[in-house]
Amino acid sequence: MADDKRGSLSGLTETEAKEFHGIFVTSFIIFTVIAIVAHFLVWQWRPWL
Amino acid sequence: MWRVWLLFDPRRALIALFTFLFVLALLIHFILLSTDRFNWLGGHAAPSAAAQHMSTLPEPAKP
Repeated sequence: MADDKRGSLSGLTETEAKEFHGIFVTSFIIFTVIAIVAHFLVWQWRPWL
Repeated sequence: MWRVWLLFDPRRALIALFTFLFVLALLIHFILLSTDRFNWLGGHAAPSAAAQHMSTLPEPAKP
C-alpha cells in the first residue's frame, strides 16, 4: 500500500495519486467558487427563502 | 485523502462525477424553468414569493 509499485487497486502509484489529487482539489475549489458566485447572483435576482 | 485515488480509478471517477453533475444541473435548470418565479425566459415580471399563483396580466374584459 505504501510502496511505489503498481500494486494499488486503481493501478496508480503514490506519486500519480498525489499529482492527480492536487489537480482534483484545485479544480474542485474553482468549481465551488464559480458556484458560490452564481448562487450569490441568483439570490440578488430573486431570493428563494 | 489522496489515497482515495489508489482505490478508485480517476478516469472512471471523473466520468461518474461529470455525468452526475451534468444530470443534476440539467434537472435543477428544468425544474427552475418550470416555475413562474424562477423562469428566466418567460418574460413575466417576478411575482412575489407569497403570490406565485397570481397572474401579472389583467383579466380580459368580459362582454
